[in-house]
Amino acid sequence: MNARHALPPLALLAALLLGWEAAAAAGWLTPIRFPPPSRLATSFRELALEGFPFGAFLSTHVVATLRRVLAGYLIAVALAVPLGLLIGASPLLDRMASPVVAFGRSIATLSLLPLALVWFGTEEAPKVFLIGFGCFWVMLSNVIAAIKLVDPVLLRAARSMDTPPRDIFLRVMLPAALPRIAAGARMALGMGFVVIVGAEMIGTSIGLGALIMEARTFYRSDITMVGMACIGAIGFALTALLGLLEARLMPWRRGRQT
Amino acid sequence: MTQGAAIDVLGVAKRFATDPPGAPAVLGGVDLSIGANEFVALVGRSGCGKTTLLNIIAGLETASAGEVRVGGTRVTGPGGGKGVVFQQNALFPWLTAARNIAFAARNRGLDAAAAAALAAELLRLVGLDGAAAKYPCELSGGMQQRVAIARALALDPAILLMDEPFGALDEITRTEMQEELLRVWEARRKTVVFVTHSITEALLLADRIIVLAPRPGRIVLELRPGLPRPRRRSEPTLARLHEQIWDALRDDHAAARA
Repeated sequence: MNARHALPPLALLAALLLGWEAAAAAGWLTPIRFPPPSRLATSFRELALEGFPFGAFLSTHVVATLRRVLAGYLIAVALAVPLGLLIGASPLLDRMASPVVAFGRSIATLSLLPLALVWFGTEEAPKVFLIGFGCFWVMLSNVIAAIKLVDPVLLRAARSMDTPPRDIFLRVMLPAALPRIAAGARMALGMGFVVIVGAEMIGTSIGLGALIMEARTFYRSDITMVGMACIGAIGFALTALLGLLEARLMPWRRGRQT
Repeated sequence: MTQGAAIDVLGVAKRFATDPPGAPAVLGGVDLSIGANEFVALVGRSGCGKTTLLNIIAGLETASAGEVRVGGTRVTGPGGGKGVVFQQNALFPWLTAARNIAFAARNRGLDAAAAAALAAELLRLVGLDGAAAKYPCELSGGMQQRVAIARALALDPAILLMDEPFGALDEITRTEMQEELLRVWEARRKTVVFVTHSITEALLLADRIIVLAPRPGRIVLELRPGLPRPRRRSEPTLARLHEQIWDALRDDHAAARA
């Protein structure tokens, strides 16, 4: 993204923050419920340097959250990709699995929180499990769809060129499905950040989700907001990283909106 | 370089499993003999079974009755020296123009260096030397179809099957491509079966024109323009033949509705 492209969104962001600040200065927003951006900047510094709760620095929260999200996400992707390729490539497996996949995708991940605690205790495992669970179904359904939606004319072309079956899968279906798989990977990552806040509600005071909940009990709306903003920023940064990876993996799609 | 092979279509009928019982067959027993290196156009309105017939010759679909022989050998599946050019978007979007062509060349056993050399040679033949490193999405529709023709030729096929290859192109590009195809065909003689719904296109290109009518799909007229190429659109003989083909299509349509 070059400077000219970055300008309009930055201008909007600045306008929103200025309006918010002005509304607080005019007394329309109660600082304790809706602290202004200038207050949030101070809170951010407090969080970074002194920590909240005291001694739990922002970096500690960020690292803990990142570690949980990435662990759950990577496990989910590692399981969902091969399984999805298998199901997508086999009409029989697809027929068998499609109700299960629809069911799994429909389960609100956090409704599993009590069970996750029963199964995995209260340490890291239940958090990673919940994130993995949420990401898994999103990834799985996207990988299956990616394979099923490969343009049939590409497969006909491949068959008309004497392409061996193994190559049809590896050198035609896989690259043809890659853009949609990548889109699924991005959606799954988003799901990871949706789940993390709930997953960190129990059994820890470290992590951005825990921070958000903890701040509420002390009426620190400002800390909650800084926590939210950090989750947003990390999600944004990771999505941008995935975007770079995609451009690398799929040079033929460079410069195309997805 | 492989010479063109003769094609024999013997009593080929086609019904789809999804057709309601009693519905007329897509193809109702078609007999057709195409000589080696002959350029045959199949013309007819939508639904007359011309594409189905082409697909059966290609081995991409199976006949319900009858058989197709290419060079005396019964067709049991796609590949085996039957090059197919599809209407559009059948190039692999993740491969450059040169690599799309090399993909076909590799499949018939050429090593990487030989395949690359052949790709360069064929790109030159279709007038696209400069586009070797371009991805399909960076090429115009006409250029994509040139690459598709080069890719089919890279199989060194005995027959070239073309399914409305210029149907998605604008009139000017289409005219250019027709001239281009004749030039390529003069350089690389093959048996060509060319499906089109443009009577003019068939008249400009083919040694023999087969007119098909629907319900059930069958041959209603065969004619040979018998004119040297390149043919001029204003040629009086072509105008007369155009009328003759149009009469056959219209009469059949009127009879079917009576």
